[in-house]
Amino acid sequence: MIADPRSIGRDARAAVVTTIAFVTAVALLPPGSYLALILAWLLLAFAGALLGIGPGHLARRGLVALPFVVAAVPIVFLRSDELLWAGTIGPLSLQVSGAGLRIALTALMKAWISVQASVLLLALASPPSIVTALRRMRLPAVIATSAGLTIRYLEILRDEARRMLRARTARSASPVGDGRERIGGTISWRARTTGSLVGSLFLRAYSRAQRVEDAAASRGATGSLSIGTMPAADSRLTLKVFGVLLLVLIITLSGALLPRL
Amino acid sequence: MHPQLHIPDGFLSPQISLLLWVASAVLLGAAVRKTSRSDVQLNASQPILMGVLGAFIFAAQMFNFPVATGTSGHLLGGVLAGFLLGPWAGTIVMATVVGIQALLFQDGGLLALGANMFNMGIIGTLGGSFIARGIGTALGGSRGVNILGAGIAAWLAVVAAAGFTTLQLGLSGTTNVAVGLPAMLGVHALIGIGEAMITVAALTFIAQTAPDILSGVASPPQASPARRLATGLVIAGGVASLASLFASADPDGLEAVAEQLGFLNAGVAAPFELFPDYTIPGLDGTTSTIAAGVLGIIVVIVLLLAFARIARSRAKS
Repeated sequence: MIADPRSIGRDARAAVVTTIAFVTAVALLPPGSYLALILAWLLLAFAGALLGIGPGHLARRGLVALPFVVAAVPIVFLRSDELLWAGTIGPLSLQVSGAGLRIALTALMKAWISVQASVLLLALASPPSIVTALRRMRLPAVIATSAGLTIRYLEILRDEARRMLRARTARSASPVGDGRERIGGTISWRARTTGSLVGSLFLRAYSRAQRVEDAAASRGATGSLSIGTMPAADSRLTLKVFGVLLLVLIITLSGALLPRL
Repeated sequence: MHPQLHIPDGFLSPQISLLLWVASAVLLGAAVRKTSRSDVQLNASQPILMGVLGAFIFAAQMFNFPVATGTSGHLLGGVLAGFLLGPWAGTIVMATVVGIQALLFQDGGLLALGANMFNMGIIGTLGGSFIARGIGTALGGSRGVNILGAGIAAWLAVVAAAGFTTLQLGLSGTTNVAVGLPAMLGVHALIGIGEAMITVAALTFIAQTAPDILSGVASPPQASPARRLATGLVIAGGVASLASLFASADPDGLEAVAEQLGFLNAGVAAPFELFPDYTIPGLDGTTSTIAAGVLGIIVVIVLLLAFARIARSRAKS
């Protein structure tokens, strides 16, 4: 996570609202608004540059959403409007629909841009400050506390899981090398081994939770995130919200005014 | 082969995203009220346990096991969380995990988060946990039967979440349901078997190692015989409607796309291969397709029963 250490004690509400508004404005663009989408990306890249994140790095981070495009591939071949190409490949007769291609490409670009927006959110605000901001925006206390603690213990338990996985690999319950070597045991044995790892990770997590409870109780905790730990409210919040509205307006208008392909 | 359930932004229409945000928010609000009521273990420690177990579910999703070369079993953990924390608290934990995955790891979109929380939290955890409890209570409520119920529910939860994901994409106009649904259900019917196996094995391990923790955190209330029968019927109805989803699928379209996308390799190992093209030789048309769907479900349940029996006999020895 690339959080600026100075951002931890800051009111992150403006950053959270901006990200959600930006993603929503992008989602509202109709299929084929490639120019508007490029404009939205340029705005994002500019914001990234202000925060010291290069457009190349940002663009690469956006690629994580791409595997999901598999879900939109059928539409390219199954719509029968605006036929771009039809023919046969081997035993298959195929048709490529222009409308379908437009839907798939637009979804892909939106996903790619939206991921970069949340990357920028993390550069602006630390995870705990995002939770505090959401708490301020009336997220129920039990969810906020639970989310805050999940974030706090995430790395500890992931590290624990990594060590257990390494130990399992060392005892040959998982494939080694390029996967062509023999794997140990039967499928049910491997499933049981994995289930036991999950079970023992649960027991470790459970006893950790008890230690945390004891420690918290001895310090007089009441079980919800204390208001006292919140950073001071952002004094320029209203101004920033107007800025966000302007941003949304630019993206939406560009979607309406720029030509679609 | 990973579960493809974290929808990124851009694939859902704004209307569908908003609708599912509202649905998730309402049901999570209900979950918050349920867990805050004093008779459901309210004390200062509940949010701490939920928070740390959220991190546990997150970490547990890293565990996989090889099924065959190139294919591995994964855990999503919804039913597991529901079993260990109770359906409502488990749902909050799962929705929180999905939210953190979107915010911190860009796994799933922000606008699509409502849909992702709905599919994995509400359907996968709340729905799955009630089905698990229903099966457990209907069969007598012993520990082994409860764990078996969790296994069946884990499979159903993953398949149902995949079905809902596809329907939402279809309603948004991003996918063709006739083709996408059988592909997603087929792939996740396989992934669900891994989920069920890991869930049963994990719960069996906990029951063996720390029986007191399991009875402390997971004790469904005793139900009357009438209620048992009712839950049994509801579950049968749910399974039947899932079966009809399989049955209404368009097999020709699936195979065409499966070849293009490489889904076909995954499909070869599916139990449905017993019935080529979802039909049974000798029967004709729709009857055959529905019969094949129902038989497919029965085969999977029998396999799960057999697996749970093995797991239980190991637990005793």
